[in-house]
Amino acid sequence: MQLRHLGDKTFTFASGMSVLLMVAALVLILGPMLSRGAGALVFDGTVEYRKMQYDMHGRGQRKPLETQLKNAAKARAEVYRLMDNFAVMVDTSKVQKQAKSIFRQFKIQLSNQVKNGTLAPEQAASLKFAGKELRNKLRRAYKTSNAQEAHEKLDYVLNYADNRQLADSVAGQFFTLARQYKNVVSAAGLKHRETYAKSFREVQEIIKELLGPQPGEPIPDLAQFQYGSTRWGRAKILRDRLLWAETWVAQGPDQPLKKTRTPREDQFAGTELAKLFPIMEQNLEKMLLPQRTFYWQYFIDDSTPGHFFGGVGPEIIGTVLLTLLAMAIAVPLGVTAAGYLVECTGDGTFIRIIRTCINTLAGVPSIVFGLFGLAFFVLYLQPKLGVGSGSTILAGALTLTVLVLPVLIRASEEAIRAVPLTYKEASLGLGAGKFRTFVKVTLPAATPGILTGIILSMSRAAGETAPILFTATVALGPVPKSIFQPTRTLSYGSYDIAVGDRIAAMVPHQQYGMVMTLIALVLVLNLTAIIIRRKLESKLRGH
Amino acid sequence: MTNIEQTTVVETEPDTCCEPLKPTLAPAPQCAKVSPEISETSQPVITSDKFCFYYGKAVGVKDISMDIYPKAVTAIIGPSGCGKSTFLRSINRMNDLIPHTHTGGVLAVNGQDIYDKRVNLVNLRQQVGMVFQRPNPFPKTIYDNIVYGPRLQGVRSRSKLDAIVEQCLRDSALWDEVKDELKKSALALSGGQQQRLCIARALATKPEVLLMDEPCSALDPVATSRIEELIHKLKVDYTIVIVTHNMQQAARVSDRTSFFCLGELIEYGLTKDVFTNPTNRQTEDYITGRFG
Repeated sequence: MQLRHLGDKTFTFASGMSVLLMVAALVLILGPMLSRGAGALVFDGTVEYRKMQYDMHGRGQRKPLETQLKNAAKARAEVYRLMDNFAVMVDTSKVQKQAKSIFRQFKIQLSNQVKNGTLAPEQAASLKFAGKELRNKLRRAYKTSNAQEAHEKLDYVLNYADNRQLADSVAGQFFTLARQYKNVVSAAGLKHRETYAKSFREVQEIIKELLGPQPGEPIPDLAQFQYGSTRWGRAKILRDRLLWAETWVAQGPDQPLKKTRTPREDQFAGTELAKLFPIMEQNLEKMLLPQRTFYWQYFIDDSTPGHFFGGVGPEIIGTVLLTLLAMAIAVPLGVTAAGYLVECTGDGTFIRIIRTCINTLAGVPSIVFGLFGLAFFVLYLQPKLGVGSGSTILAGALTLTVLVLPVLIRASEEAIRAVPLTYKEASLGLGAGKFRTFVKVTLPAATPGILTGIILSMSRAAGETAPILFTATVALGPVPKSIFQPTRTLSYGSYDIAVGDRIAAMVPHQQYGMVMTLIALVLVLNLTAIIIRRKLESKLRGH
Repeated sequence: MTNIEQTTVVETEPDTCCEPLKPTLAPAPQCAKVSPEISETSQPVITSDKFCFYYGKAVGVKDISMDIYPKAVTAIIGPSGCGKSTFLRSINRMNDLIPHTHTGGVLAVNGQDIYDKRVNLVNLRQQVGMVFQRPNPFPKTIYDNIVYGPRLQGVRSRSKLDAIVEQCLRDSALWDEVKDELKKSALALSGGQQQRLCIARALATKPEVLLMDEPCSALDPVATSRIEELIHKLKVDYTIVIVTHNMQQAARVSDRTSFFCLGELIEYGLTKDVFTNPTNRQTEDYITGRFG
């Protein structure tokens, strides 16, 4: 008696715990997915995001956007000034080119003046010589890494600054350059030029990713480089990386390298650039103006190549198309096959073998079906039908059909078998034939059960990646216009982002957004099927 | 004449409730024709001549020879496993559903051997309708349940189908209860109503013979008495064969009774004779409750 009670209690406890465990697992697995995926829809969008939306889709209002951009530019101006000044010290190739072009313009100006007769040829020749001298000295000043020498050359150039003839002409720009460089050199010296270079290049890249291309720079061709950080979350990560330099320090022989973080400000201590870091820390918000954004168009927008911007519209269309097409092929086949197995066959050896085959197929890894689809549908069948041996939605749907058929047949078979024999008897007793009884009585009564199988296999078809990997999908491409074209899908999209080396880190929201959309899509499809099933059941039951 | 017959039955069974007999007390012109006495001389609808039925090697029924007469109720009684249902289901070949069975002898409906290979099963089953032990309406609406048979026969006209539905529901005394909810699922009805619906469904194909396999065994007494009442009404137009475990029911509703035991027909005769004056010792033991 005591023992039985104990057994009962243990059973209740164990089953309760396993249910709890399932719920916990569900929350643990789906919770982070959904919350991260929600980041694709609701996030703090920066002014860059609004600019991108306005440029690409014409969304938003022009006036407020312009004001915001102006304000942001004002906040950014100091950053760019500091950067430009420091850039001269690290890398003088730009100013060298500038000096060259100034001299070229100067020569053109002089020859024009000679033609006009405003300048005597001899005077022009001596001015040209002076200009050439200035250019050479300036270039030498830029090239040297000796601060003393640089000062001497620059002073030499600036001696000519009083010469009105030179100062008023194009050559006057030489003096501006010389004064700028003199400031730089006297502020920091030139000793650390090499040590700064690497770190500064990183800073430049981070700033470019944060704020977009510097005003005045040529606009890059790729859309992803045309804008700064569109998301405040990503901007904060970049700011962190800007403020803290990560270096790998050797701990000693046979020891793993250790990651250390040092403030970048220290690396540039003593230079003017050191001022940049507190500014970035405090004023980034003013430069990017983040605002809470709800991007519901995520579900309909196409994405620019690489999923940097935009949504998953084509992916949703592709997934739905593939799934529904696969189900449209699989359901009639599966139900007919199940009907045949139940109604038209006995329990012979042959049927038992077939049943075992179906059960085995249900457990075959999906990549096997994917390879089968590639070999049979894509490479063998399609060329024969004149479609060409490329991925198509049809081939993918057929592969998915093969994948879900065993599951569907099993579920439908159980459902058909569960229809009470009395229904069949009644129908046959009224003179109906086997086929008619099946179609008119057995099938309607089995529909709720068959729908359960459809729900299961539909979820599987929508979420599978491997079978469509080689048969139906592309990572990027237009929305398909027919079933003889490849498509993008949510499952393959998130896989593709995950294996793309850099993209996953840059657009994590896209990946999680796709997964969330997939979950939501499967839920919606299932919910529809469940509602239909419940309606049918209540209709059958008569309540 | 019928009246006398019926009352005699009641007199011999004093426990029996008289209510089901009331409808038949009204003399109808057909009643005179179908009285058992006279139908003795009329042509039997079902003729069984040394009919045997085997489940593989096991015997279902053996050497059954009996004639079933039209427009009368024939009851089959007997202990469990005696082959009552097997014989009943053989009459419209419902046993075909069971694999590995075979038959012997002759079982004829209207002179046609139904186990002949040329027999059209569809026609046979429409001619010989069946009501099962458990109410088994289709999970469809009441209306769809009844028009299932007629639709099979090719009736498409809406007005014709409506007329059939009303007629069959009236015949099965269900019309007044469900006339406003013909579109409701049949499964929402009570057990007794479902069984009457099954009878209405069987009637819709206009059968000659109605086989009833313990139609009341799953019903409560009130529903049972309504079905019995219905059987009384229906025998005016149909030949009814009913298998029952309830001997009082057999006595109440049937004109003739056959007693089966261990797959063999022990006794067959007018109900009043079988119940009051059985010729066979086994029958007597069974009826008096000493066995079975």
